[in-house]
Amino acid sequence: MAFLSNKAISEILYWVTRKKWLIISFLLSISLFYFPSPEGLSSEGHRTLIIVLIVLILIMSESIPLPAVAILILIMQVILGVDTPDGVASTFMSDAVFFIMGSLMLAVSIVSQGLDKRLALGIINITGNKTWRIVVGFISISAILSSFIGEHTVAAMMLPVALSLIKNSGLPLDRSTQLSSLLLFSIAYGCAIGSIGTPSGGGRNVIMIGYLSEFGFGNISYVKWMLYTYPLLLLEIPFASLVLWFSFTPKQKQLDSAIRKLKVNVAKSGKLNGNQITAILLFILVFLGWIFLSPLIGLGIVALSGVFLYLVFGLIDWKEISHNTNWGVILLFGAAISLGIQMKQTGAALWVAETALINLDVIFQDVTIVRWFVSVFLTGILTNLLSNAATVAVLGPIVLDMGGNPMIIGIATSVASAFAYLTIVASPTCMIIHSTGLIKSRDYLKAGWKLFIISIILLLLVSYLYWPLLR
Amino acid sequence: MKILIAVSSKKYSKPTLRVGMNVARAFNASTTIVDVGKKINEFSMKDVVLAQERVENWNIDRPGVDVLEWAFEYLAENSFIEKNDIDSGFPKNTLVDTGSNRSEVYLKGTVCDNVNLIIRNGNVIDELKDEVEKFSYNVTIIGGSQRGNMSHDLIQYIDSSIFVVNNFDLNKNYKILIAVNDSPNNRKAIKYGIRIAQAFDVPVEAITVSETDHLKDGYKSAVKWCEKLLRRSNISYNHKFLTGNAPRVINREASDNSIIVMGSSTKNPILKFIAGSKPLEVMKNCNCPILIVK
Repeated sequence: MAFLSNKAISEILYWVTRKKWLIISFLLSISLFYFPSPEGLSSEGHRTLIIVLIVLILIMSESIPLPAVAILILIMQVILGVDTPDGVASTFMSDAVFFIMGSLMLAVSIVSQGLDKRLALGIINITGNKTWRIVVGFISISAILSSFIGEHTVAAMMLPVALSLIKNSGLPLDRSTQLSSLLLFSIAYGCAIGSIGTPSGGGRNVIMIGYLSEFGFGNISYVKWMLYTYPLLLLEIPFASLVLWFSFTPKQKQLDSAIRKLKVNVAKSGKLNGNQITAILLFILVFLGWIFLSPLIGLGIVALSGVFLYLVFGLIDWKEISHNTNWGVILLFGAAISLGIQMKQTGAALWVAETALINLDVIFQDVTIVRWFVSVFLTGILTNLLSNAATVAVLGPIVLDMGGNPMIIGIATSVASAFAYLTIVASPTCMIIHSTGLIKSRDYLKAGWKLFIISIILLLLVSYLYWPLLR
Repeated sequence: MKILIAVSSKKYSKPTLRVGMNVARAFNASTTIVDVGKKINEFSMKDVVLAQERVENWNIDRPGVDVLEWAFEYLAENSFIEKNDIDSGFPKNTLVDTGSNRSEVYLKGTVCDNVNLIIRNGNVIDELKDEVEKFSYNVTIIGGSQRGNMSHDLIQYIDSSIFVVNNFDLNKNYKILIAVNDSPNNRKAIKYGIRIAQAFDVPVEAITVSETDHLKDGYKSAVKWCEKLLRRSNISYNHKFLTGNAPRVINREASDNSIIVMGSSTKNPILKFIAGSKPLEVMKNCNCPILIVK
């Protein structure tokens, strides 16, 4: 080290401390590579699982940028001989990735229309000025809207409404209060609950639909998905309202003056303009496309058609879409889906599924409940540590290989990935409310664990009592 | 000379801002006040930005703007910025996004060329390190409440002098406690200590701590040089020779109303990383403000 200056050594130390998880995962991958493949697992499957492990470590530790993780997945698949470069490229792009790309662009296009003030007026006209009614209104509207247009879009539009109410109630915007926690969690949890409602509610739903179709387990239409999940969405709303109300009961039982000020503020913005009306009509068109055209051309192509129309009608320019779209997330999900397909093709998913079931068989008698519990509980936990779409992309092939009815297991897994109530990193909506500085980290657990358990119980009831009737 | 002052809230950062601006005045230093906000993970970065844009559209400030506004009011009250800037009020609309989660407002300073107000988002150490590297600050001033477990990282990775405004009481009469030894950074530390003593109009207490009764030649010449400088600067001072383990003795001598000034360690960074250093030991255990000069 004599040839290096103290500054250079310091820089190296800094890099090592910040990238320790990258170094650990690199060393781990080398050691696991030279480990003999377990019985029943092909060498390609063994190497695929090494990539999965590395990816999970890198995403959770955030030690390298997300696009770098995505690129690493593709590189490792080729270098470790899991697939050829062309094979990796063909699994990288799919309709699910088109959908994620399209829905992120649609979100930017819709949010930029400034419809949030109209939304605010709509909500308070329905709820009036009683705080509990506003909370139920926030959760219901967030849930219903996010079931169609994606949770991050709705959270971005609802956030100013909640902050405006908090500010106009005379509360500070630089520290947490019961009312601020109540209103902000109403948005985050409302959006999470809503995201299960339709395939377009979240990229993960489309990923699961893609896996079901790709692996030959059947196709599921937009309306069929709604038939499965919408009753659960509606069931969850009152429970979420009660849990939040009793976890963050505010002093302010009425928000008279805040509502009055909000109405004045909204009145200043005038009536819906031409662009806003066109934006709403175009979205309705996209929605109808998802219902009627997606079986023919795919959900992703419909979403991209919507973006095309927004651009053609001049409702948004490309620069704004390009600037505000998270391309890194699109790359990552593309790569994660590719990895998921490799897990299925190399038999890695089947090996993990069988190993888990054999071990749990010893403890539990009923394999059906074990299967259900493993997929739902594991998804729920991982979604709170990782990200919901990445969880479904990685766990999807495993749970679908566990046997039983893949449709039920698949949809249950996708639904469980919406139980992102426990941590800040669980979903973009949790991060959006956290970014206000009005939510403490421990608040996520305060209400989140109750809603997590209730949601699992409700999912269990729905999947065992209601879903079998739909077959 | 460039100074970076890290603030975090109106409630806790008042002493940091006050000390920081007085140090800036002492050195006629170009100053930047930074608020490092919450880290946003990459999955949600664009969604959060989109949501914050909507919030601003409702005339509600995003987090951090209120802290900068409070800093602006302090600068205006104490005439650290020019009248034109004061009269036009806090220019939140000119908060320029300079990329990498960094937004900035430029103000014309009175005691120094300019005073910039910036917001960053992310890990405090990473953001301060990046800011110091990109804009070459000489001193980074940070509040004691932010010290927590960061002492090691602050000293190890931030490439500027570090001033931790720990338990600073605006109503106390302070003294500057300068540790004099033969380390290469010590002369710079003595100069900084004297400039700060002049700015705050407080006395200096210089101490030289030797492990044995025998004082090394390097120590003797450092003391001689220090005393000469103190005499010339016309401030009240005294000097003591003490024996023992330097960090322990310095912490024992430092009372609540001391501001410790010492040079940084020049040990190999790997040794510092593993075994720590004297300044780190002092910083971790002291209950008063401390300036480690690099």
